[in-house]
Amino acid sequence: MSDKEDPQPEGRKEASAGLIQYSPENLVPFGPVHPALKEPEYFKLILEGEKIIEVIPRIGYVHRGIERAAQERTWIKNIYLFERICGICSFAHSLAYVQAVEGILQFEVPRRARYIRVLVAELERIHSHMLWLGLVGYWTGFDTLFMWIWKDREHVLDLVEAITGNRIHKSYSTISGVRRDLPENIADPVKKEMAYIQQRAKYYKDLVSSEETLISRTKGVGRIDADLAKKLCPVGPLLRCTGIARDVRIEDPYAAYDELIPEIKTSTEGDIASLLALRIDEVNESCRLVLEAIEKIPSGPVKLTAPRSVPKGESMFHVEAPRGELFYYVRSPGGIAPERVKIRTPTMANILTATAMLKGHTLADVPVVLTGMDPCFGCMDRVSVFEVDKQKEWSVLGEELRQYGIKYYKERRAG
Amino acid sequence: MSKETGSSRKEIGGAMGEMFRIAMERPITKQYPFGPPEFAERFRGKLDVDPVKCTGCGVCEVVCPATVIRMVSTGKRKVGTREIETKRPIFDLYTCISCGQCVDDCRFGALELTHEFELATVDKNSLIMDKALKSVR
Ligand code: SF4
Ligand code: SF4
Repeated sequence: MSDKEDPQPEGRKEASAGLIQYSPENLVPFGPVHPALKEPEYFKLILEGEKIIEVIPRIGYVHRGIERAAQERTWIKNIYLFERICGICSFAHSLAYVQAVEGILQFEVPRRARYIRVLVAELERIHSHMLWLGLVGYWTGFDTLFMWIWKDREHVLDLVEAITGNRIHKSYSTISGVRRDLPENIADPVKKEMAYIQQRAKYYKDLVSSEETLISRTKGVGRIDADLAKKLCPVGPLLRCTGIARDVRIEDPYAAYDELIPEIKTSTEGDIASLLALRIDEVNESCRLVLEAIEKIPSGPVKLTAPRSVPKGESMFHVEAPRGELFYYVRSPGGIAPERVKIRTPTMANILTATAMLKGHTLADVPVVLTGMDPCFGCMDRVSVFEVDKQKEWSVLGEELRQYGIKYYKERRAG
Repeated sequence: MSKETGSSRKEIGGAMGEMFRIAMERPITKQYPFGPPEFAERFRGKLDVDPVKCTGCGVCEVVCPATVIRMVSTGKRKVGTREIETKRPIFDLYTCISCGQCVDDCRFGALELTHEFELATVDKNSLIMDKALKSVR
């Protein structure tokens, strides 16, 4: 093939002069359609042999236009719209939104409602973290762990269903409080299940620090240090695993976090193994907060009557979602619908860190590292790997990549 | 072969005790659809309307976030010297997200979320619920 016939690879190399050079020979496109991601993304993985030397993310493929849609809906309808941004942290989204609107209205939310918000938000954190722990088990080839943790997660989801009426889309927040009071006699099941989860968390903590499969796949994988974290500004557990203790619940308490004070867990390793331990610690801490909330919960109303129209003004709010800081900006033109809503989700903040975590690892580590940043489940739906010297293009499904990762490590250990 | 068994035994080692414990337990998976489904008291399933209580006020149409409800005319009614149009709600339940906002806002208590959840169908028209206020009142 002469240069004239195919000038493109040359041209591309020139264009990226100064940066790391890439061409079809060493580029592995990863993505772009990952239906389960809130912010679907496409990673260009540039390889040197098997090692990833550069990762170029590109986002925005499945832009759903939710912010625009919000401008057409009333304040109350938007709660249900924003809940649907994420299936796992739906309560965090509605919580951030309603508190931003309450900021414009200058509402004082009843104390009981603020406690209930903490209760449900912490239950959500427990179920989100457990889901993630199971997924790490799955991607490292430890399916048993995946089954166990997801079985235990059902206990939390049953509680969430008993309190809110649905397992996932809770539809529980409303402007000025929560939509329903806690069911009667909920304290006993909450105490029982939290004791169970705490006991399981202790077991899983032991397991992740002693299980060889997990250790060999996660120890030292995806390592970031505090200096890099300060440059790239990740949020949530990804930041806390580098030893930087930052948490919106402490720094800018909302709901009842000024009275129910969480203890921030950190770890200093900054790799996936430390993320595992950190998230289990956070599950434990959330259980403690739930128990404290159910003990101390005051009586009183759970909501006020919110007006249909909101006066002119703007407001910002951030909450600590299970994945990190979730940010909402709301502007009201003075009427029944918002003029502008801006949302910054934690995965958006974490994406650059995820690319840094991938560097230096092999293709076999990609699923584990990308799961490590907790980008919602199922993200590894489709990868295509181009192998130019074999003159063929493979299209690798997530499952094949998982099997590849498991085989790779098995062979490495055997030989 | 022997090498492989050896390595996998080592892998499993840490979780062996737990495996025996769980093997002794009853399976937690329920065989659907045999046996009664379990719900929380508050579970939000299919919407239902009480045709006797509904007055056709139209509040539910305004508050529904999923545009499930349309109000259609049922005729005219004389109030004093004025003639006003009476309406009834039709529920296109195939877009309903079971949020319960209409239930909260119906002042006449005509709406309710039932525990019915088996709504899968090949004909979405079978999910159109039109039973409120068939006759002019
Ligand atoms: S269901 Fe309730 S809110 Fe809807 S039209 Fe009837 S009375 Fe009005
Ligand atoms: S439950 Fe929600 S989506 Fe369904 S009809 Fe009522 S308001 Fe609309």
